[in-house]
Amino acid sequence: MALLEIRSLTKLFGGLTAIFELDLDVHKREIVGLIGPNGAGKSTALNMIGGVYLPTNGQILLRGEDITSLSSHHRAARGIARVFQDNLLFSTFSVLENVLAGLHLRTNMGLRDILFGGHRAHHHDQVLINKSLSILESLGIASEKDELAMNLPHGKQRILSLAIALAPGPRLLLLDEPITGMNAKEVETMLAMIRALRDEKGITCIIIEHNLRAVMGLCDRIAVLNFGKKIAEGTSSEIVENPAVMEAYLGTEENVT
Amino acid sequence: MLNMNRSMLIKIFGFTGLAALFIAAPPIVSNIYWISVLILTQIYILMAASMRTILLIGHISLGHIGFMLLGAYGSALLVMKAGFPFCMALIVAGFLSGLVGLALGYPFLRVRGIYFAILTLLTSESFRLVAFNWRGMTGGAMGLMGIPSPDAISIPGLGVIDFSTTEGYYYLTLVVICLSLMVLYRLERSRLGFKWRAIREAEKLAQAVGVNVMWYKLVCFAVACFFAGIAGALFAHFQRGLSADASSIFSVLTSIYLLVYIVVGGENKFAGPIIGAFVLSMTSEFARPLEEFQPMMIGGLAIVVVMLMPGGILGFLGQIRFWWSKVLKQETRQGIKG
Repeated sequence: MALLEIRSLTKLFGGLTAIFELDLDVHKREIVGLIGPNGAGKSTALNMIGGVYLPTNGQILLRGEDITSLSSHHRAARGIARVFQDNLLFSTFSVLENVLAGLHLRTNMGLRDILFGGHRAHHHDQVLINKSLSILESLGIASEKDELAMNLPHGKQRILSLAIALAPGPRLLLLDEPITGMNAKEVETMLAMIRALRDEKGITCIIIEHNLRAVMGLCDRIAVLNFGKKIAEGTSSEIVENPAVMEAYLGTEENVT
Repeated sequence: MLNMNRSMLIKIFGFTGLAALFIAAPPIVSNIYWISVLILTQIYILMAASMRTILLIGHISLGHIGFMLLGAYGSALLVMKAGFPFCMALIVAGFLSGLVGLALGYPFLRVRGIYFAILTLLTSESFRLVAFNWRGMTGGAMGLMGIPSPDAISIPGLGVIDFSTTEGYYYLTLVVICLSLMVLYRLERSRLGFKWRAIREAEKLAQAVGVNVMWYKLVCFAVACFFAGIAGALFAHFQRGLSADASSIFSVLTSIYLLVYIVVGGENKFAGPIIGAFVLSMTSEFARPLEEFQPMMIGGLAIVVVMLMPGGILGFLGQIRFWWSKVLKQETRQGIKG
């Protein structure tokens, strides 16, 4: 049984078909890439897996359980985490507070904690703080823990987004264009981090990217979308040689960034 | 005691001084009119503070006064028609407002910004119109008269406290308001408040890390409406009569005033709406002769504050403290050099 099974997933926005009958299986410890040109429907697919959009048709099964109509906070509780596009962060919170917020599922929210938890109990809970610090350390940004998220440079914000997603200890990580806007060194670091997540922690990843070259080495399997439909699926070497993919997406040499 | 720094000591002294002032006010002021003003000001303070609680989840409610209306009429009717004692009616009125807030919040909190503001505004106006026209229950256009004041209670050591006097009611209000503000402050500084701010900051992200955003928003809204109901009940039993016509306290204008109080006092701090409500209420009182111009003055003041001091009075004071600390640093550096 695959970790995530997507069956005939369809999403219509009024008259626009964003995704049409997508079938995809994602197995444990796989890194699956979802690529395609802009407007192909990749973000829509990810939004449906993450629970932000309700599919018009089709099913999503997590470990055999139908989660199609569950909202994203229920999915988070079942081990799905997401790194959003455009560095979505709690911008006016500090780096440490961002991860503390990400630890929501690991935080006691009993009535006693709320009313008698003491002055800013959340911030003084040593267990939570230690957990947050260890996550920040493992990603190399612990030194900025008191910096406001909005003051971080772009690359570090990306890493912080990853830290927030990793806080509750997910099994499935959805990465929405994780390396956009990064320089070569940052890209290398990020790709290595993702690989390490799979190798050391056994986290399954689904990555959306339009930079095919960058994720070719990282992904075990790649599914290519165009105009809402899956036009190819296979290993990176198979994809690169696939004529349908080349025609629809790669086009001429100049189009490959 | 000794390891407290200066700012903590200043805060403690400040609060104690303020508390003493408030407790000693009636005998010092010893003018029934001004004590009444203080009672009403306190009610406005609770309204502004609870309205700001809704701001914490990123929603602006322009209908907060509607929930005060529910509490006011609710408590009055419970005492007059169902024979409830005041303290029970007060709490039940609060819960009534809170439950209505919960029910309305479920659809309303799905939309943000201007849409939420319009929905709440229309709701409170609807409540007011129902109260204004329902002759059977609320006396319609004639209003609800003859609301009894709370029964006197006897406290061993302090004697009998009679709440039918202005002074007695002042202390009742003071106790209720202080307790309410303490609860609101606690909630804001707790883990719950942290979740609320996370929701305001990035709702989609909060949802993705497992926060049941709708639930947390509902709790916030219901709590805020509960305290609006409490404020309403206090109002009803003080005024001894309620009216819901267009120029009453339950009109839309009051909701807008509350927003101005928050903005002028400073929306970023808990004390902001308290300061704003107090300062502006006092200003309005002193400007009694210019009553027709009051809306214009309040509006003008709001515009000035938004343009020049977006952080409100407290924000401005914070700025001054910041500049002052920088000046001190400069002097120290020059002192070392010189």
